[in-house]
Amino acid sequence: MTKPFKLISTIAMSALLVSVMAACSGNNGTANNESGSTNAPKTGSEATAKPDAPKPALKRLNVWAGEDYNVYPVAKLLEENTGYKMQTDMLPQDKWAEKLNLIMSSGEAYDIVTSYSDMALYSDYAQKGALVDLGPLIEEFGPNIKAALKPESIEALKVNGKLYAIPTTVTYEINSSILIRTDWLEKLDLSMPTTTDELTNVLTQFKEKDPGGNGDRNVPLTIKGDQSIIDNIVGAFGMPNAWNDVDGQLVPRVLDPSYKDYVAYTGSLYKNGLIDREFVANKDATAKEKFASGVAGAIVVHWADIPALSESLAKTKPEATFAFVPPLKGPNGEFGFAANAGFDRLSYIPKSSKHPEEAIKWINASLEPETFKNMAIGVEGTHYKVVDGAYEPIQPIFTDERNLANNFMAGTDETNYPQYWQARVRKNPVMFEAFDFLNNQQPAEAKVTNLLGLAPYMQQYAKNNQQLNTMIGDYTVKLIAGAESIDGLEDFQKKYMAAGGEASSKEVNEWYATLAK
Amino acid sequence: MSKPRGGEGVSLGTGRRRLKLIRGNMDMYMLLIPGLIFLFLFKYAPMYGIIIAFQDFNIFGGISGSEWVGMAQFERLLQSDEFMQVLTNTLLISLYKITILFPIPIVIALMLNEVRRMFFKRTIQTIIYLPHFLSWVIISGLFINILSPSGGIVNEIIRSFGGEPISFFTSNSLFRSLVVFTAGWKEMGWNAIVFIAALAGIEQEQYEAAAIDGAGRIRQMWSISLPGMLPTIVLMFILRIGSLLEAGTEQILTMYNPLVYETGDVIGTFVYRMGLGQQDYSFSTAVGLFNSAVGFLLIIIGNMLSRKFIGRSIW
Amino acid sequence: MYRKTAKDYMLDGTIYIVLIAMGLITLLPFVNVFSKSVSEEWAIMSGQVGIFPVGFQLDTMKFVVTSSQFLNSLWISVIITVAGTLGSLLITALTAYPLSKRELPGMGFIIVLFIFTMMFNGGIIPNYLLVRELGLINNLGSLILPALISVFNMLVIKSYFENLPASLEESAKLEGARNLTILFRIILPLSGPVLATIGLFYAVYYWNDYFHPMLYINSTSLKPLQLYLQDIVMNADTSSALDKTADDLMNVPAEGVRSATVIASTIPILLVYPFLQKYFIKGVLIGSVKG
Repeated sequence: MTKPFKLISTIAMSALLVSVMAACSGNNGTANNESGSTNAPKTGSEATAKPDAPKPALKRLNVWAGEDYNVYPVAKLLEENTGYKMQTDMLPQDKWAEKLNLIMSSGEAYDIVTSYSDMALYSDYAQKGALVDLGPLIEEFGPNIKAALKPESIEALKVNGKLYAIPTTVTYEINSSILIRTDWLEKLDLSMPTTTDELTNVLTQFKEKDPGGNGDRNVPLTIKGDQSIIDNIVGAFGMPNAWNDVDGQLVPRVLDPSYKDYVAYTGSLYKNGLIDREFVANKDATAKEKFASGVAGAIVVHWADIPALSESLAKTKPEATFAFVPPLKGPNGEFGFAANAGFDRLSYIPKSSKHPEEAIKWINASLEPETFKNMAIGVEGTHYKVVDGAYEPIQPIFTDERNLANNFMAGTDETNYPQYWQARVRKNPVMFEAFDFLNNQQPAEAKVTNLLGLAPYMQQYAKNNQQLNTMIGDYTVKLIAGAESIDGLEDFQKKYMAAGGEASSKEVNEWYATLAK
Repeated sequence: MSKPRGGEGVSLGTGRRRLKLIRGNMDMYMLLIPGLIFLFLFKYAPMYGIIIAFQDFNIFGGISGSEWVGMAQFERLLQSDEFMQVLTNTLLISLYKITILFPIPIVIALMLNEVRRMFFKRTIQTIIYLPHFLSWVIISGLFINILSPSGGIVNEIIRSFGGEPISFFTSNSLFRSLVVFTAGWKEMGWNAIVFIAALAGIEQEQYEAAAIDGAGRIRQMWSISLPGMLPTIVLMFILRIGSLLEAGTEQILTMYNPLVYETGDVIGTFVYRMGLGQQDYSFSTAVGLFNSAVGFLLIIIGNMLSRKFIGRSIW
Repeated sequence: MYRKTAKDYMLDGTIYIVLIAMGLITLLPFVNVFSKSVSEEWAIMSGQVGIFPVGFQLDTMKFVVTSSQFLNSLWISVIITVAGTLGSLLITALTAYPLSKRELPGMGFIIVLFIFTMMFNGGIIPNYLLVRELGLINNLGSLILPALISVFNMLVIKSYFENLPASLEESAKLEGARNLTILFRIILPLSGPVLATIGLFYAVYYWNDYFHPMLYINSTSLKPLQLYLQDIVMNADTSSALDKTADDLMNVPAEGVRSATVIASTIPILLVYPFLQKYFIKGVLIGSVKG
């Protein structure tokens, strides 16, 4: 291209430059119009201009919920009680951590971010300097926060000695056990199993006598494909948690001396057709469907799954009844469930927040005991009533106005919340019964606390934990299904150690030693 | 086909003549301004951003505040097992899509061409064009639904034949097939349109002459319809090859999950996950640049081939 | 007259069967999911819903289409689609017109500049950083501005303009009309079909776009329909169950709700589909015979 072209391009470029500027302001104009008409976030900038302006509007990023936070009744309550207008956005349900990373790095000015408790993610943000150090702020503005949180929670969340997040702790200890068809037991004149031997017997009877009349489809105990570690049974072999104390050291299951016995027992259940033959291919939903349609006599589930199961089962097999199996005693008399410890959600203040102090004040106001109680379970006589010292929900208003309440919390009143929280479980009596059996009626020694739940951030452990658990899970599946022989255990252990098990183990036990002191 | 262009004489003209043309048509050049702003701002400015592939980009420092690392990101890319896996996935899915899905619209066009009942023909066309207009989110939603291991109709059918339910969306051995199948489901009808048009362009007399010579209809399809479509087929094929490295990013983003990263993660999804999800901007820009560069080469080669074989260039 | 042989009947039979099968494969997923959306939840859970609904009810559908988030997302999608399509059509046509005058100096080169971007682009990350620099994150502008011109569509309109009879313009020019007047008075009114088709392509793009809102939109109140939908349909089946706590498990959207959301999101497309049909075939053809 020759001279004239150059001329054109110069003209074009200079025209471009001029109009880019014009267009940029123009673009902003149109963009604002668009978002303005759809009540876009308009927080911040004006408010920060005047530092002592009365309570700015805050912006929060929260986990996905089925309903809009901003119009949910709890939002109104909090606005009245804290005096802050809060505008909340949600993370997606699917692959939320990626979107959270994206938002954190986009510098979007959220004042509070609440996500699922992912210690690796949290400590990564903290170390990269993306979060505000909450210690001084809480000291100055957070008397309620200090009162609500237990010291061990605060300790567990410290990264390099500083606190960057406020947790909502888990509200119950025991998740799951074996759910068994009690009408099948009655039909065969069997009692609820209390030991692993009795369980074998019950399942054998289920198989041979087919009390459900399922013929070929009959399944004594169904589990899902990734559930090779069966809650309750694993406790009978002294390994309720992923890491258990063996002679003063925390040891992962695959290195536990009882591991062989556990695999031998479950392997024999499978070999004899007492565990679902096709369990390896079972998805969560497949296993549930087998139980819900009355084909399976027992299933390993979380108590929160019970309403869906019981509803379907009531339609397909109206005569069906079921209950959780109590902690089974193993050959050495050991028993127990893994008891949750640790956090459900974490709330933190990103560095990009325009109002970190106000955010802490908001959290503090939300943790004022009466406000917190109202947020959690509502008003006595309207949302709940007290029956025998327990909070009973009044339906349907409780579900309508407080069902999502837990999502609004940034920190909980750690002493009282577990009690308030049980009102939520009482919404469904069948579920509550199962929950109550596992969580309230079991003796303390049947609940073996997952010590690592409250451990502080440990780099190696956080990095490797999930992968190592998957490794153990997959290997155990193969052992149970007979695809691998237990003779190869030593080789596997070596592989496990090399894949990060050794580093994790060292780190975990260094911490454990300090705990024992 | 195109009207004679008045500007043919320009090459003979003098600079003054061109200047006059420009001056006389200043309003035309003004019209271009919005388009040019768009072009430079949203198409060329991001190309400048590619230089972060040669940096260790720090989002807070920006391009000027980031450290130069030269080709380090590309070395890392070539040594990364994960990238090799992703490249393999991309090529496999793309090749499956081409070998399996490319011929189907041609067959559909040939078949529709044989149908004489117009009502039937139009009904089928209406139905099979429809999925093209649905978003991948909806289509993934539909298939997640019907393939669900709990109550999905496909698994109910499998079960009624005594089979075991299959969890399609979490199975590494099935995921690629699923991607290919759903892509076919969405676009097979739509992609047939160009071939149907090519067939419509074939003169009816050719068929009549063949019929008189005693050629059956299969014979006619083979020796008249197919050759008549050939230029279109070649053109479409070359175009398709040009997008070999685009295995369906949006489709896979709406369908995949961590259980099938092993077989389903393709370059586009990988760039998103690594670059934006995990803030590895420079590395994923390097991956993106690799992708663009290979794609560019493929298109150039394709265009050359097109010119050589059917005498038409793509643009 | 040519008479059908037995072979021809076999051929016809095969063709009809295959085409009907294809039609069914396309339709059945809709029918099944539609049936689920109007069936009772227990029937869905126990796998009884096939072609026909079991325990017919419309409550689920009503719940879905009256949900404030669904309506808000629908509204956002409408805004994006309408604003985006109009903006795109205008700027695309405005750009295509001068470029169709190859006799003007520089136009050829500008066309090459446009075409080059079809073959080579900055990629996801640089685009994201640009949008971020422009302050468009979490702004609907981020979904429209970077997509205003599709070079392919622009070339289609350009070649349509080139093929319009030159005499029309020439006579107008003789009467002293300016280029702009010619464009708006003569060219555009003659370009109804191509504008309708290209408008349709833009509209389908804006309506269905999932990737860009996923990158750029954070606010719940600005989420277009596709983003909202993805949240509903990607469920416990596929997303990591590890993150789920008991409270989440108790609130998982039921299968019926998911089905109803998918169906409700399809309805807008189905409603306009018959009107679209008239134009899209034409559009594909314009696109493929150009050049």
